[in-house]
Amino acid sequence: MRNLINFIVKNIHWLFFLFLIFISTLLIVNNNEYQRSKYLSLENEIVGKIYAITNNISSYVGLRSTNEELMRYIATLESRVQFIESQLKEVELRNDSTLFLPDSVGLPYDFIPARIINKNITGVENFITLNKGSRHGVKADMGVLGTSSYGVVGIVLSANANFSTVIPVLNPKFKLSCKIKNSAYSGPLVWDHQDIRYAILEELPRHVEANPGDTVVTSGYSAIFPEGIAIGTVESSKKEKNDNFNSVKIKLFINLGDINHVLIVKNNYRDEQLNLEKRNGNVN
Amino acid sequence: MSIKWVGKIVLFFFLILLQVWVFNRIHLFGMATPLVYLYFILCLPSSMNRNPVMFLSFVLGLFIDAFSYTLGMYAIAATIAGFSRIYSLNLFVPRDMPNEYIPSVKSLGFASYFKYAGSIVLLHHMVYFFVESLSLFDPVGLFLRIAGSFFLSMIVILAFESINSDIFKK
Repeated sequence: MRNLINFIVKNIHWLFFLFLIFISTLLIVNNNEYQRSKYLSLENEIVGKIYAITNNISSYVGLRSTNEELMRYIATLESRVQFIESQLKEVELRNDSTLFLPDSVGLPYDFIPARIINKNITGVENFITLNKGSRHGVKADMGVLGTSSYGVVGIVLSANANFSTVIPVLNPKFKLSCKIKNSAYSGPLVWDHQDIRYAILEELPRHVEANPGDTVVTSGYSAIFPEGIAIGTVESSKKEKNDNFNSVKIKLFINLGDINHVLIVKNNYRDEQLNLEKRNGNVN
Repeated sequence: MSIKWVGKIVLFFFLILLQVWVFNRIHLFGMATPLVYLYFILCLPSSMNRNPVMFLSFVLGLFIDAFSYTLGMYAIAATIAGFSRIYSLNLFVPRDMPNEYIPSVKSLGFASYFKYAGSIVLLHHMVYFFVESLSLFDPVGLFLRIAGSFFLSMIVILAFESINSDIFKK
C-alpha cells in the first residue's frame, strides 16, 4: 500500500500531465468543428463496427417482426403499383399521344435501402447510425425516408466507408424546408426538443391558412428530398404577436422508435443544381 | 523575488497580447506563423517544479486559444511543451550550473540555449500543427508549416532573448 502511494506521489506529474491533456482534448473536440468531425468519423468507424457485430446477432432475433414490416411495405408498394398501372392503362386507352416519357434522361432520385444499427432518440441531440456508407454511394446531406410508416426520418450528417450518421427530425440541428399541401409558401421545420411526436413549422407568412388536420409536405427546395413527401398533419397554429409569421405545430407521421429500415434518397441532379446556384452566387 | 514575479506576470500578459494582436496575423507564404508566446515557458526559473510549469503553460495556451477561437489546441501543445521542458533542460544544459538559474543565452551560452529552446519549440509546433490538421493527408504541407513556423518562432524568440539580455546588462 505504501509502495503504491509512493509510486503515485513520485509520478504525480504524469497524472497531472494526462489530466491537462484530457481537458485540452475535451475542449478541442467540443469547440472546434473540423477536429470534432474528424473525431466523430473515427468514433463512427469504431462504434459502428461494434454495433454491426451486436446488430448481426440481434437481427436474427428480430427477423420475424422485420419480415412483417417488409411484408407491410411490399403491400403498400403493391397497391401503389396497381394504382399507377391502372392509371397507365387509362392513358393508353385514351390513346393519349401527348404523353411523352423521355428515356434519355435518368430518374432524378435513387433510393438506397439501409438498416438502422443504432439510434438515440431519447435525448436532445439525437443521432441515428445506418449500415450504409460512402462505399454504397451515401454522402453527407442526403435525405433519409422511413419505409413502413411513410415520412421523413432525417438527413445524413457524415458518412465513412461503411457507416453513416443521420440527424433525425428529432434534433434541434435538423432544419428542412416544408410547406402545407396545396400552398406554395414554405418555412423551416424544426424540433423544439420537447415532445418526440411533434415538430414546429416556422416562418410561415401570416396570411397562409393552416387548419388542424392539413397535411404538411416537403417543399423540395433544398434538393435533398423530392417535393411532396408527407411529414405530418397540422395540430395547432400559433400567431406571434409582434411577428409577421406564424409557427405551426405539426404532428409527425414517422415514429422513430418503431422503424428499423430506411431509404436513403440520392438526388442525381443535386450537384448540378448546387453548382448552378453557386455560380450565380445564390448560395449563402 | 516578488519584483521578479511581477515581471513574469507582465511578461505573461504582454506575450499573450503580442501573440494575439501581432503574430497571429502573420501568415508568411500562407504557411508560417510565429508562435512566440512559448518564450514565457522558456524563461521560467529552472528550479520551478514541473507541475506549476505545466499548469502555467496550460493556462497560457488557454488564453491564446480564447483569443484565436481554437479552444484547446494551443492548450494541448503548450501543456506538452511545459511538460517536456525539464527533459530538455536535463539534456542540453551544461552540468556545471548553479541550482537556480533562468535559462537564457547569457546563462547557458548560445549553443545550449538554442538546443534547449529549439527542442521545446519544435515539439510544440509539431503537436499544434498536427492537432490543427489532424491527419497525414498532406504531409508535405504539414512539414512546411511546422518548419516555416519553427524558424520564424525561433528568430523572434532569439530576438526577444537579445533584447532581454540587453535590459539585464544595464
